[in-house]
Amino acid sequence: MELKLENLSKQFGDVYAVDQVTYSMKKGVYGLLGINGAGKTTLMRMLCTITRPTHGTITWNGKELSALGAGYRQILGYLPQDFGYYPDLSIYDYMMYIASIKGIRPVAAKKRTASLLEQVSLSKYKKRKMKNLSGGMLRRVGIAQAMLNDPKILILDEPTAGLDPNERIRFRNLISELSDDRLVLLSTHIVSDIEFIANEIILMKEGKFFFTGTSEELISSMEESVWNCTVPKNEVEHYLKKYLVANVKTMSQSAELRILSGYSPSENAIRDEASLEDAFLLYFGEKGADNIDAEI
Amino acid sequence: MLKYELKKIFSKKFNQVVLAAAVLLAVVFSIFAIQSILYTDTQGISHDGKLTAARRLASDQNKWKGALTTEKIAAVVKSRKELGAKYPDDIPDTVYGKTVQSYNDITHFVIQIMTPDSDWDENTLYQLTDEQTGELYNIYKDNMLKMSIDYGKTPEQQKLLMKEYEKIQMPVTYESVVSWDTMILYAETYEMVLAIVIGFLTAGIFAEEFRNRAESVFYSTKYGRSKATKNKILAGVLTTTIVYWTGTGILTLISFAVMGTSGMHTPYQLMFPYSIYPMTFGQYYLLILICGYIASLLTASAAMLTTAKMHTPYVAVCLPFFMLCVLPFIARALPSFSAFFNLMPCVLTNILNCARTPILYQIGNTVFRQIPLAMLIYTAASILLLPFVYRCYRQYGLKKE
Repeated sequence: MELKLENLSKQFGDVYAVDQVTYSMKKGVYGLLGINGAGKTTLMRMLCTITRPTHGTITWNGKELSALGAGYRQILGYLPQDFGYYPDLSIYDYMMYIASIKGIRPVAAKKRTASLLEQVSLSKYKKRKMKNLSGGMLRRVGIAQAMLNDPKILILDEPTAGLDPNERIRFRNLISELSDDRLVLLSTHIVSDIEFIANEIILMKEGKFFFTGTSEELISSMEESVWNCTVPKNEVEHYLKKYLVANVKTMSQSAELRILSGYSPSENAIRDEASLEDAFLLYFGEKGADNIDAEI
Repeated sequence: MLKYELKKIFSKKFNQVVLAAAVLLAVVFSIFAIQSILYTDTQGISHDGKLTAARRLASDQNKWKGALTTEKIAAVVKSRKELGAKYPDDIPDTVYGKTVQSYNDITHFVIQIMTPDSDWDENTLYQLTDEQTGELYNIYKDNMLKMSIDYGKTPEQQKLLMKEYEKIQMPVTYESVVSWDTMILYAETYEMVLAIVIGFLTAGIFAEEFRNRAESVFYSTKYGRSKATKNKILAGVLTTTIVYWTGTGILTLISFAVMGTSGMHTPYQLMFPYSIYPMTFGQYYLLILICGYIASLLTASAAMLTTAKMHTPYVAVCLPFFMLCVLPFIARALPSFSAFFNLMPCVLTNILNCARTPILYQIGNTVFRQIPLAMLIYTAASILLLPFVYRCYRQYGLKKE
């Protein structure tokens, strides 16, 4: 079981959305981290054969995807970032339709649909029209449809986008449950989505993979240390300008800062253990911080 | 797969409203057809638009049912002449209801035979001599020969016209065609409405995924680029067939159930003696329905191809309207391009006029009449467009950028 990308590029006009990516994935959960516009979705669309690479190849067990065609898509499950659906179909009809275009026989499709809807806690809503579902329910239908053919490759593009914290935790656990014995590629710009479930983390920026490894390896690759310090409220602006600040907790007279720096930012600063979020902030800078603030 | 593809079409609220409107229109058109019958009884009382009008009129006219021999025609002409002389200004309703109404079709037939290349002139009937009446079918045959020579621009065309005219049986067999004659106009108008509705429904089939942003899941599935696309096309053809035949079926059923089917085997030449399409009124009605079906298939194929290419239904839903409703107006404004416009898709929903007009096309030594040629072209076009729909839709995203 090997999904291999070789010199993979996708060009839109003068812009390379994916630029010369070479990587190999086997069984396990791969967390693809990057800010919006890093090229994650384009990469995933190429992996799902929705769009073709401009250069380079993708092979599954040594064979090019274009040559495998339907044979490859048979073992693929995909939940796109912008999960579209047919608003007037019920959940059940939608699942049965997707099962049919995935080539699953009706008898097997009925059983599989029933079991997946049970797993995503949607059994009692199966007659409800898709247009009447909440965002969280839709994402659950999305993951259920991706799992219909029991795929060997499961590709999830921003599966938790737009979900509230409870739904996100629930969804993360569900992905973890479903990840057994398959290759799962999960793209996100939310660090906590992959922190506990990904075996391997890929950082993507401007179309390139610039780090691949475990979360421990990613954290240990950081040259800066993490410091916690309390500073007077009127000095916060100064620290924000001078250092990379992961977090600001404002109190009545002062503020607690979490700073990424190669040296101690103040006398009372205490060194803390770095987290994946700190690494994300370090590698993606201000934009990464914006994403963290927005989504966590 | 096909079941759910159809479900996607028929479960949409908007499509349901459109379909309900189409069914309602079938009922409304039936009512209009029934109400358009004018009948006066022997007392001179008008029963125009009443439910029983068509059947009573048919029963009245069927007094003349059977072979329309020259003796029978002579009797009609004599009666009409006498009444014309007796009532030079206007025939009283009682006389009309008792006599004239029953043989109106026959006098119409006689006038048409005697005026092959000129406008309708009722005086022709009054000027008809007994000798001419006795020779009516010979005059008819002579005129056919003249028409063949006048309208056939080449020997091949003349030969075809003569061959078609030879198929017309004489004497013509008469039976009242009141219901068929009335239904032609309504059926044609209704099938134009259906073609537009069908274009609307089928345009959505290939826009669905893009409009709902469901294309990523669709194309990442095993059959997304093959069987599922084929099933979409099949769903389009099935939708066209179901909607068209259900709609026209309702219209036909209601109308004929009320008005009766008298005259199904009456030759179309009773109304247009020099038509180059020898057929009965039943066959004529069927021809109109079949041509309407071809028009619907064509609009469906064109709408599907447009949406498969553009991923949006907005242009596609306008196509049927342009093909069937706008083109005839353009054709009228550009008479010098009539040879071209006479083969446009709008011909299929204008059989009423096309069947009356001897328009011929010649390719090499082969001569085609307008209606069969249009049917052939657009049946072929409807079928030939489908592989392009398939190719266009399945190729999405596969072009190298």
